[in-house]
Amino acid sequence: MAGQSTAGQHRHSSFTSTIATVVLALAFCAGFAASAPPPGDQQCLACHQSEALVKPLADGDSLSLHISGGEFAKSVHSAFGCKSCHRDIDPARHPASASIASKRDFSIERAKVCSGCHSEQYHQWERGVHAALVRAGNPVAPLCTSCHSPHAVMRGAAQAMDTVPCQTCHGAIFTAYASSIHGVLRAGGVTQAPLCFACHGAHDVKVASAGEGLRDACLSCHSEAIARHQTWLPNTTLHFQMISCPVCHAPKAQRTVDLVLYDSTSQADASMPMGVPEFENRSGANASGLGSAALFELLRKLNGSGASSKTSIRGHLDVRTGVEAHQLVPASMAISDCNTCHKTGADAFQSVTVSVAGPGGIPIRYDVNKNVLNSAFSIESISGFYAIGATRITLLDVLLILALLGGFGIPALHLIVRWLSKQPAKRDDNEQRQG
Amino acid sequence: MRKLYVHQLPIRIWHWINAIGCVLLVLTGIQIRYVGLIDVLPFRTAVIYHDWIGAIIVGNFFVWLLSYMFSVRIRVYHPELDPIELFRGCVRQAIYYSYGIFKGAPNPFHLSRTRKFNPLQSLTYQIVMLLLLPIQCFTGILLWDLSRFSRVVDMLGGVRVVDTVHVGIFIIFVFYIPFHAYLGTLGRTPLEHYKAMFTGYEEVPEDQEAEKSA
Ligand code: HEC
Ligand code: HEC
Ligand code: HEC
Ligand code: HEC
Ligand code: HEC
Ligand code: HEC
Ligand code: HEC
Ligand code: HEC
Repeated sequence: MAGQSTAGQHRHSSFTSTIATVVLALAFCAGFAASAPPPGDQQCLACHQSEALVKPLADGDSLSLHISGGEFAKSVHSAFGCKSCHRDIDPARHPASASIASKRDFSIERAKVCSGCHSEQYHQWERGVHAALVRAGNPVAPLCTSCHSPHAVMRGAAQAMDTVPCQTCHGAIFTAYASSIHGVLRAGGVTQAPLCFACHGAHDVKVASAGEGLRDACLSCHSEAIARHQTWLPNTTLHFQMISCPVCHAPKAQRTVDLVLYDSTSQADASMPMGVPEFENRSGANASGLGSAALFELLRKLNGSGASSKTSIRGHLDVRTGVEAHQLVPASMAISDCNTCHKTGADAFQSVTVSVAGPGGIPIRYDVNKNVLNSAFSIESISGFYAIGATRITLLDVLLILALLGGFGIPALHLIVRWLSKQPAKRDDNEQRQG
Repeated sequence: MRKLYVHQLPIRIWHWINAIGCVLLVLTGIQIRYVGLIDVLPFRTAVIYHDWIGAIIVGNFFVWLLSYMFSVRIRVYHPELDPIELFRGCVRQAIYYSYGIFKGAPNPFHLSRTRKFNPLQSLTYQIVMLLLLPIQCFTGILLWDLSRFSRVVDMLGGVRVVDTVHVGIFIIFVFYIPFHAYLGTLGRTPLEHYKAMFTGYEEVPEDQEAEKSA
């Protein structure tokens, strides 16, 4: 390099400066985990290591100001120092006792700082259901810092089975997951088996039952599944459209028909109506539930004059609870007997709900009288849902019996009358002809 | 007695395929609809049989349609173009079946080369062959692959509507098939028409032949 021309020299210096930038950036990113934290941090920690440091809040609660220096030193952000996230703190004037309304307000305000370096995750989170819940005022829906403790973000912690953040709030689901086929494999070290975020996403978490539900997530790993089912399941695509995977793969679960309002014009699930009187003053525990006339009436209102699109009701077969959706068993134990669903009184059709979007788009399910599936009204109101054998219209069964009686009974009667009225002379005539 | 060749071979083949097919469709259809009440075939097997037989019947329907369209035989279905006359004929025939036959009265209808069906037959067969069966085939095809035909199904008002029509016509067939089979035994001998449907020849008394040529 030394023997190079001046022009080369020039190039050389710009080259080193580029290298320097890259190294700096890499070091920044790598987090200098081993090196000592920036000196300012020791200053902050001098006071904030104390466990006694507590700040009373406006709402009567109190905020612990204790920060564990040891943990922070091990975390991915330690190299950046306290100031990288607490830029607003001016050591010269700190502590200034500014009032903080509540823990939640403080957290929501502070978590915005993450977006400065992780804008991608932040935007994903903003589009997800959790952020929608936060905006709707849900007091526990997770912010960045609910899932990633800001002073102790450890590398890989969010992806590990025993530290996955979801379990702190969705404990029951986690327990169900842990004993499912995927959970057992994951605990056994099979990292290809999905943990929560592989199906739901970590940041852009969607309402689980929205649209096609999680079918596409399943199929992204089990790409051969459609072909495999087609070998024995007639109309596989239709089944996959109408039935969520856990219905067959969590055989112990209580199955249920969830009626979804469907926009026939755009061929997508319709946004669900808020404040429709049919749904007001009804609790999920209502014993008999909405009747077929009420559903009919609801649709009539939605499609009344001025409606820009045609709304119909589609049924979807699902499992009753979120916990049951995670009790997946090995394929050999999945439901393969068609009769489980295709007969009268099949358990799947004993419980019927209709979903309406609540805060954050999370569906609130209202019980519907199960007889709506067999009512003649359903031709109009639940025109988009029919399961052979199980949701027969009772009226048609009656007509069939009449047809059987008529079809065989009338000829039989006719035959008898003919036989009785046959004159001897006519009989002779017949015999002659046959001879 | 004179033998009159009325049922051409293709029509006889078509007829028996159609007859057996429709009976099997009704039977598998009942099995499909009433699992739990009737368990002769497993549901899955019944569905697969029903689909295949249905496909045969659809194909067979077009064989019938084409063979009639490209021959003059279609006329056997409506030799009486005057609706009032057709209606009168039907009433006459109905009175015969519900009253005259018991008294030994003669059948008001006389078979001839161009008049294969009595007015009542001609009317029912037109309804069955040009209305019910085509609709049944059409709804059956839609139900066979709902996801493929979802646009058409939605246009018609949803799977419930399509299915209800399919089941409705099924019910009509359940009523019609035994009737049809029974009416077939009302010839001069109980098996006369059945035999004709195999051989192609119906027996016609000489005097009626004369009447026709007159
Ligand atoms: C002299 C001790 C001391 C030092 C040094 C100190 N703090 Fe504080 N800090 C406090 C006290 C006391 C409070 C509580 C103030 C109150 O009650 O309003 C506090 C509050 C806070 C809060 C809570 C929010 C707020 O604005 O009230 C944050 C965040 C904070 N300090 C961060 C830091 C950081 C970062 C540093 C280093 C740059 C630092 N502190 C240095 C004593 C200290
Ligand atoms: C990655 C960004 C980040 C870094 C680095 C960081 N903090 Fe924080 N800090 C936060 C956030 C976000 C909150 C709000 C946490 C919440 O929701 O309660 C917070 C809150 C605090 C609080 C209030 C008490 C609490 O836990 O809520 C103190 C005190 C504090 N930080 C001190 C420090 C000190 C001291 C350091 C350096 C040793 C530091 N922080 C480094 C992001 C950071
Ligand atoms: C000053 C920029 C900066 C800020 C602000 C910041 N981070 Fe980071 N964060 C980084 C960098 C750089 C990395 C990559 C570290 C690495 O991979 O070594 C990182 C890594 C992470 C990781 C990945 C850990 C893993 O498993 O590898 C998480 C989670 C994380 N940050 C969360 C947060 C949260 C939550 C906040 C807000 C409280 C935040 N970060 C604020 C720069 C920042
Ligand atoms: C509901 C819990 C949850 C929330 C809220 C959350 N994260 Fe994460 N985050 C995770 C999980 C789980 C992972 C691991 C995902 C993976 O490996 O695919 C993760 C991974 C990360 C990573 C590592 C890079 C990556 O994408 O894998 C960063 C950076 C990160 N989160 C930042 C953020 C920021 C910034 C926010 C706030 C906008 C946030 N997270 C909110 C759960 C959450
Ligand atoms: C801090 C608590 C918290 C954490 C951590 C958390 N969630 Fe949630 N989540 C909620 C709350 C609250 C709701 C609102 C619905 C409810 O109450 O169950 C919700 C809703 C959801 C929903 C929508 C529910 C529906 O009916 O469709 C999904 C999916 C979800 N979370 C997945 C996750 C996943 C995956 C993780 C981990 C990456 C996670 N959550 C972590 C609190 C949390
Ligand atoms: C194999 C994929 C998969 C994994 C892994 C998974 N889920 Fe789910 N999750 C689903 C399915 C499928 C549903 C039900 C969707 C529906 O209702 O159609 C669901 C539903 C949910 C719901 C909504 C429950 C409700 O009440 O409707 C939440 C919350 C949730 N999951 C959280 C989690 C958490 C937390 C984990 C990790 C412990 C997790 N999921 C792991 C597939 C998965
Ligand atoms: C991140 C990839 C991934 C996702 C997403 C995923 N799985 Fe799996 N799944 C696996 C792996 C890996 C296995 C174990 C290896 C195998 O048997 O294929 C497995 C196993 C299974 C099995 C057991 C197969 C057997 O042979 O016994 C079933 C059933 C199953 N998954 C269903 C689902 C369903 C339903 C969903 C969606 C709710 C889903 N999976 C989502 C990766 C995934
Ligand atoms: C109608 C019930 C039913 C539905 C719905 C269903 N499955 Fe299955 N699935 C089964 C049965 C039964 C088997 C076992 C078949 C066998 O033994 O060959 C199976 C097998 C599997 C297997 C293992 C295939 C293999 O490699 O042998 C996977 C993976 C799977 N299903 C995933 C899914 C996914 C993903 C969905 C949703 C899109 C789904 N299944 C929907 C009944 C169902």
